Amino acid sequence: MKIKMLIAPDFPPERFAGWHMLNTWLQKNTGLSVSLLTPASAKEEDELARAGGIDVIYANPFDATGLIREYGFKVIAKPANKSNEMTIVTKASEEPKTLDSLTKGCTIAMADNKDVKLIGLRLLEAVDLTADDIQWSITETYQAAARQVIQGEADAAFFLTEVFDTLANLTKTQLQVLIQSALGDIGHVVLVHESRADIVEKVQQALIKSIETAEGKSILEELGIPEGFEIMTEEDGEFMIDVITTLQD
Amino acid sequence: MSIPNMSRPSDDAIEHQITYYDGNTRVVYTTENEIPYPDGHLIVSRVDLNSILTHANEAFVEISGYTRDELMGMPHCILRHPDMPSAVYAEMWQTLQSGNKWRGYVKNLCKNGSFYWVYATAVPNVRHGEVVGYTSVRRKPSRTKIAEAENLYQTMRSQ
Repeated sequence: MKIKMLIAPDFPPERFAGWHMLNTWLQKNTGLSVSLLTPASAKEEDELARAGGIDVIYANPFDATGLIREYGFKVIAKPANKSNEMTIVTKASEEPKTLDSLTKGCTIAMADNKDVKLIGLRLLEAVDLTADDIQWSITETYQAAARQVIQGEADAAFFLTEVFDTLANLTKTQLQVLIQSALGDIGHVVLVHESRADIVEKVQQALIKSIETAEGKSILEELGIPEGFEIMTEEDGEFMIDVITTLQD
Repeated sequence: MSIPNMSRPSDDAIEHQITYYDGNTRVVYTTENEIPYPDGHLIVSRVDLNSILTHANEAFVEISGYTRDELMGMPHCILRHPDMPSAVYAEMWQTLQSGNKWRGYVKNLCKNGSFYWVYATAVPNVRHGEVVGYTSVRRKPSRTKIAEAENLYQTMRSQ
């Protein structure tokens, strides 16, 4: 039986091989023929989801709301103990700085990621900054955003924490963390389309059991999901959507 | 549902008697000690249709000063600070019961009489078309917004 599995495009580039390894592993452990789709942008992801025919999606939590409420997907699993967090950094200096150092008119560099921007703006509420108070410098990559801060072209940069953690040490030592989110309840989810109830058990069990073998553990490490997957109930998914709803304005 | 009276936390704590919407009363104590909002965190809780706490994340439990066991099953108003005008809560419940999202600045009371400010957003939990409870998510408010809310609430209390 053939299925199509789509991976949200917001993972760090070095995880790319891991998703292909998981795809091979899933085929071996479910007996399903899995066709992996890795759209390059959020726009392409949305077009694929909208066109239909996708059976499984590893979705960003903010996109999951629409996929569940509008496109008929249901949550089945999520990475264990892994939430989507963001980090705001500025240029390293001898004097430790706080979020208050960012003021109206400041320039913030970031790769184009609407979720990182949303969470970052929620953190900046504490210092009375809104999106309109900031000059945005949208870069091709997170590394480029770091360079802009180090070279003094931007006052701060927004990062997906997972990406920030993988930056070279030489880069990180030239940056100072102003704040990191610790949202906890919000993370990526595995969704299956409601028309494919027949594959839920197989996919869910294969993901949950992936941590039980050396091969599975190695793949999970490649994916940056070291604690494996855990079952997510429909209510867990609805609760996450409720929390996300509160962050949207 | 009645909530046990607070114990006097310190000699300088001020005693208040709060009367809740259902007529129940409770003795609480307040101090001038403000607990800083935990940077980067969300404070999350859920209540059922009767405003009884059914879920609280770690940040909620920690800042409140209560244990999780003390909080679960208690009315959410266990956190009500006497400086908060009852009209704010009345408006919040009216908004939520109309099926809408509510936002506002709230001064909460800790177990030891300390307080903390939050910017709260509450939403109805709709499951299969039915409201089954409410989720509230708090973020860190700016000092400017806190000062504005303090002034507004002082005016409301004096009217």
